[in-house]
This record gives sequence, structure tokens and C-alpha cells, in this order.
Amino acid sequence: MNADLEHTTSTSYSPLPDADNHRHPSSSIRRRPITLLSGIFLSMLFFSSLIALILNQHNQPHQHDSRNKESSYAKPVSRGPQQGVSEKSNIELASSDVEDTYPWTNAMLSWQRTGFHFQPPKNWMNDPNGPLYHMGWYHLFYQYNPDAAVWGNITWGHAISEDLINWFHLPFAMVPDQWYDINGVWTGSATILPDGRIIMLYTGDTNEEVQVQNLAYPANLSDPLLLDWIKYPGNPVLVPPPGIGTKDFRDPTTAWLGPNGKWRVALGSKVNKTGITLVYETTDFTSYELLENLMHAVPGTGMWECVDFYPVSTTESNGLDTSVNGPGIKHVLKSSLDDDKHDYYALGTYDPISSKWTPDDPELDVGIGLRLDYGKYYASKTFYDQNTQRRLLWGWIGETDSEAADILKGWSSVQTIPREVVFDKKTGTNVLQWPIKEVEKLRSKVTVYQKVVLEPGSLVPLDVGLATQLDIIATFEIDKEAVKTSVEADVGYNCTTSGGASSRGAFGPFGLVVLADEKLTEQTPIYFYIAKGSDGVAQTHFCADQSKSSRAPDVTKLIYGSSVPVLHEENFSMRLLVDHSIVESFGQGGRTVITSRVYPTKAIYSAAKVFLFNNATGVTVTANVNVWNMDSAHMDYFPFLNLER
Amino acid sequence: MESRNTNKMKISSPLTILFLLFLLQQTLLSAMADIQLIKNTCKGTPSPDLCLKILLAEPKSQNADLTGLALIGVDAVNNKGLEILKQIVDLKKSRPELRPALDQCAEVYHAVVEADVPSSRDALRGGMPKFAEDGMADSAVEAQVCERRFGEHGHASPMTGSNNVMHDAANVVRAIIRMLL
Repeated sequence: MNADLEHTTSTSYSPLPDADNHRHPSSSIRRRPITLLSGIFLSMLFFSSLIALILNQHNQPHQHDSRNKESSYAKPVSRGPQQGVSEKSNIELASSDVEDTYPWTNAMLSWQRTGFHFQPPKNWMNDPNGPLYHMGWYHLFYQYNPDAAVWGNITWGHAISEDLINWFHLPFAMVPDQWYDINGVWTGSATILPDGRIIMLYTGDTNEEVQVQNLAYPANLSDPLLLDWIKYPGNPVLVPPPGIGTKDFRDPTTAWLGPNGKWRVALGSKVNKTGITLVYETTDFTSYELLENLMHAVPGTGMWECVDFYPVSTTESNGLDTSVNGPGIKHVLKSSLDDDKHDYYALGTYDPISSKWTPDDPELDVGIGLRLDYGKYYASKTFYDQNTQRRLLWGWIGETDSEAADILKGWSSVQTIPREVVFDKKTGTNVLQWPIKEVEKLRSKVTVYQKVVLEPGSLVPLDVGLATQLDIIATFEIDKEAVKTSVEADVGYNCTTSGGASSRGAFGPFGLVVLADEKLTEQTPIYFYIAKGSDGVAQTHFCADQSKSSRAPDVTKLIYGSSVPVLHEENFSMRLLVDHSIVESFGQGGRTVITSRVYPTKAIYSAAKVFLFNNATGVTVTANVNVWNMDSAHMDYFPFLNLER
Repeated sequence: MESRNTNKMKISSPLTILFLLFLLQQTLLSAMADIQLIKNTCKGTPSPDLCLKILLAEPKSQNADLTGLALIGVDAVNNKGLEILKQIVDLKKSRPELRPALDQCAEVYHAVVEADVPSSRDALRGGMPKFAEDGMADSAVEAQVCERRFGEHGHASPMTGSNNVMHDAANVVRAIIRMLL
């Protein structure tokens, strides 16, 4: 608009040839050109003001694609992640009802802390960073606020473990003390070079709030604890390239070797609303060249955060080093979408010559297809564990209660139990995630239920003792013939919108209820629901229902889940890791995974129970369940370092 | 003599007048444009009048983009929080019987000023609005928490006005932040 004005008025700016030269005393002669020009100018002024007024009526502050903002104030129930609404937004914006905040007691809040999931002793945590294995120790770094249970002052926390289950807290690895990371030492990844050197690339938020990439490395590579880190004096090593926004350039990946012997590193970004992955080449990790080709781009997905890129074997069951390529290998490209706060991935092929990645199924491309986890889960990152040859996956699990409760309890967020990631050879279309085997060392007592027959409407309590820390594996058999021959159709079943575990269909829901009190006034059902589409094909859904998980009004009560492939000869199987306020649910061996945060007020401590249930109306289900009680993991400050503050 | 006349002529020359008129026009239109942004932004908040009051009180709002407006809002929440903390100190002296509730109010308002405001501010400046929302959501809730404490101790609240303003202001700023998501 302003440009138009400048254009129109500039024509009136061509110097008047006679203006300064004439000193004619006759005022009338002088007045004519002035009058004429003023007239022209004033009418242009009037005209352009009119245009500006009209344009301003249409000027909206919100430049994004429209989401129905007005209705979000009225609705008490979140429209869910599908519509890009973050979990926290289901809490009333317009309401000033005092009842909306629950009077949490200390007993309720302290119960919420997990027994065997990684979390620092207090304060805020978010993304996992630079996971690696070195000299007998697994290292985890993480985004951390040393001062409060809300995001801010971001520092790299550091912890080590011999088994990925029991952890020692170490001093901060990096703090925001340089101009290039003074506003935050943000997310990064580790690359272990063939000669054993460790390269850490991470995003720094500079003193002018520009996102840059920095290099750091251990001060002493023979220190198994990797206590001290040196920031490369020549930082930053990468700044936003032309065409990339200064706030759209972050989260460098682990590097992999290209065909020319140079290293390659990827970074997510966006151009308008297209999410993209940039690739840089380097030999020394201090100077880089941006490759002309983007690795990949998907329109409409917005900013790509925490990009992850790694090979999986389609034939073997071990993990692969990030640089491996060749036959019998597919590449996973994963991205955390800023716009909807979920982690998406796709399987595809990486062409090292062009450095382009192509999805196996463009309809299920990154950001529009499969999610790594259908619950509360973000900023995940894998690493190659060369010790055991596994590809291991970390994921950040934020809170879904109120920030006020987080401040009261003094902490916010946990990490998942690390998951082993492998290609699903049986379906060929997804990966499998499974809790690392080391978690089984926490199993103590097991209670076994065999061939429990669940008629329609059954609810069977399982007597397992203390039910707040459990590892449950359950399989369910139904008469598949009954499903096949039935004409019943549940058109468009969707975990999120179809009403949860109390919504009964012919062939579902059936499964387990955890963190429930005896009378089930609070309950968290995890279940299968078999729907028959209008095409007559049965589709199984795996859901986690938080809608009745707590009587408190200020916690998220969504129902998470997705369809899950079930092969002809398979029974329905689920594994649950129940650990106080977190439940990790794995359907069909990890084909579909859901992480939930739950905050019961009654179903806590010894009042928490477990049930089997079958709410289907048309089919009997036979269940086999193993329930292990889980000991707590050890998590403490590393001794002799005087760390407790 | 002649040169003085020349100078006078230059000031009142058509070119100068046109230039000044042009400047005036640009200023007027630019101001109009930004007031329109402010008006439209406030329309999308739960308390449009309060929103206008907050934003228009800061002259920099005329030239601010949406992130800038959100930052002005966060500053306003911060100022109100500091004001309330002073109010609490005074009340502890004038109404000692309300001490237990006032102590709890002080605690939550310290959280607002020391944790929530910096968190929202840093997140907005760093281009991470999704982390900025939490701080303002919490500020609104803490105002309610403080207000409720008086009833729990069997007293009428002497801070209802302040708590309501904080609650509404924080929700306004939260709404602005959500427009950035």
C-alpha cells in the first residue's frame, strides 16, 4: 500500500523546472503552478487515503490459514490436535470461573512424579539433546530451565547411565554464556566420528535473537563422564542462509557421510507454509556449504523442528549407523511440526548423489501421514547405540495439567523410556517402537491371567497389588469370523472423536483400564476398537482415553489414538508402561504408540486399580495378561561432585 | 536582502510544501494502518476494551507487529504484577488478619513476575510463541488462585479488583499470543 502511494506521489515529485529559478514578483503567476500541483496532490492524497482505509478494513492481524478462532473461546472441550489446537488450549480462555482450577493437594501432586522415567530433580525440561554412548556410559542432554518450572533460560542439562534406566545427574554441559547462545542453548545432536571424536552441533539463540548453529566438543575425550565441553571459538559455524528466516533455522541433526567422503548435516526450516529440510556439507564441521537441493519439502506442513534422518534395515533386526546406505535399507525422515506440536515420520529412499529423500508413499509423506506417537509427545530424537547396535529413540513428554500445578509441584516434563526402532518387516509400511529391554530389569512380581473370557459388557478387576508402576502385556482373541461375516459398519470411527471407551460398538472397545479407582470415578482405558468401514473392510483402532482420567477440570481430557494394522494371523496385543502420571501404550508390538499424561485425584497410591474390560456388544473377547509390578529406577546426583543445590 | 527573500521563498516553495504534505499523509496513513492492526487484534481477545487500553497506552504499539503487541501486553502484565506485589506489602500492614492469604498471594504473584513473565517474554523474542502462551495462561490462573485464598481463610478479598484485572489482562495477552501460533 505504501509502495503504491510512493509510486503515485513520486510522479508529483519531478522537480518543477521553474520553481526555484523564477523570482517573479507577481504572486498570481507563482500561485497558479502551486495551486494546480496542490490540487493534484491533495486529490491524490484523498484518493490514496480512501484506498488505504478500504484496505485496512480487510487487514487481519492473523496471517495464518484461518482456524475458527472465535469458537475456541466458547468451547470447553479441546477440538484436539487434529485441528492444530494445542492441548493447553482446551482450558477456558474467556472463563473467569474460580472453579476451573482444582485445589490440588500435596499428596496428589507428589504422586504425579514418575518412578522410572527420566526427569531432573526439579524445574522445566523439554527436548532431548545429543544422545550418545561413550566409554561405557549412555549420555543424555536435555533442554532445561535452572530457575523455574516454565520454559526459559535454556541450558543443557546432562545425565549419564550404564543401562538407560538408572541415571546420574551431572553438572550442566553448556550454559548460555556466549553472544551466540546467550538467549538459549537450544537443541542439537551428536556425531561420533570414526576416530572416536565427538562433534556436538547445536542451535544458539543469539543476543539479537537470530538462530545460528554452533559447534562444541568434549574438553577431554578420555573422560567417561564427558563433564566439560568446549564451544568452538569461531562460533557460529552456520547462520541462516538467504531466503531462510532468522527464526526458522534450528535443530541440526547427527551428521552422515556422503558419497564424496564429506559429512552432511540436515536442518529443518520452512518457506512460507512449506516445511523443508536443508542439507549442508562439511569436512571439518567448522565450514559448511549449503547443498542446492533440499533433501525434501512438504507443502502446508509449516516449520519443521527437530528433523531426524536415519537408515533402517529392511532385512536385519539390528540398528544401523547413521552413515550406512545401500540395498536392503530404507531411510526414515522425521520432523516435529511446530504448527500442530506432533512428531511425524515417513519411510523412503535416500539418494546420496542428489541428496534427496523420496517417500515410499507420497500420500503418507512427512507431516501428513504417520505419527511416531499419537499422544503427548514431541521433539523426539534417535541415536545409533554402537554398544548394542540398536537405533534408540528419545521423546519429550510435556505436562498436560495446568502451569499453575507445575509451578506448585516444582517440575515439568519427563522423557519416555528409550525405545528401540526397527523396520516393520511384516507390514513394510511403518517402523516398530518397543521399550528397551533394560526396562525389564525393574520388573518384580508378576501376576498372570490366562484365558479370561470377557463377555460383552465385562469388567474384571485384576489383583496386582500397588498399581501405579506396572509393565503390562495383554493379548486379546476374538472370533474373527464373526467380524468378517457381520454387516455392521462403524463409518468413520476415530479415536479422538468417537466418544471414548464408553461408546460401545459391535466389536469394540475392549482392553485395559489403568489408574482407575475401585468405583471407576476416575479411569484411563486403553483399548482396541474394530470398525468395519463402508467398504466392508475391518479396521482396528488403538486408543487411549483420558476423558475420565481425572475429576480435576484443569487437565487435558482428550482421547488419543490411530488405526493400527493387524495382520490376518495376529491377535490383538498391547503393552502398557504405567508410571504414575505417564502411560506409554504400544499396540501390535509397537506399530502404533500412544503416550498419555494423566492426573487423577482419587486413583492414586493404593487406590489405583487395573481392570480388563469388554464394552463391545457383539463379540466375546478372551484375554491373556501378564502384569509386572515395577520397581523405581535410581536417579540421583553423581557422587563426589557436590552437585546438590 | 535578496538572499533572505530567496530563503523565505524556498521554505514556502511548492516543493517544500508538497514534501511536508506528503510526510503528513504518510504519518496519518501509517498511524491509521497500525491502529487498525491494534483494533483487529483486540477484537480477537476476550476483553477488547482492556486490550485497547493496554496497547494504546504504549506509544510503541503504533509501530509494532503482532509479536510486538504481545510483548507490550507481557510488559503490562509484569507491571500489574509488580503493582500487586506492592499492594500486598501494604495490605499486610493494614490488614494483618489477612496475612496467611496475603502470603500465598505474594507467592503466586512472585511466580508471575519472576517465572511467567520472563518465560513469555523470552519465548516471544526468540520466535517460539508456543512457549510464550504457558506463562500468560498461568498468570491468569494465579490471579484466580490468589483471589480464592481469601475465601478459604474465611475473609472477603481486598484484592478483587486487582486480581480481576490481572486475570483479564493475562488472558488478553494469551489470546494475542495464540494468534501467532
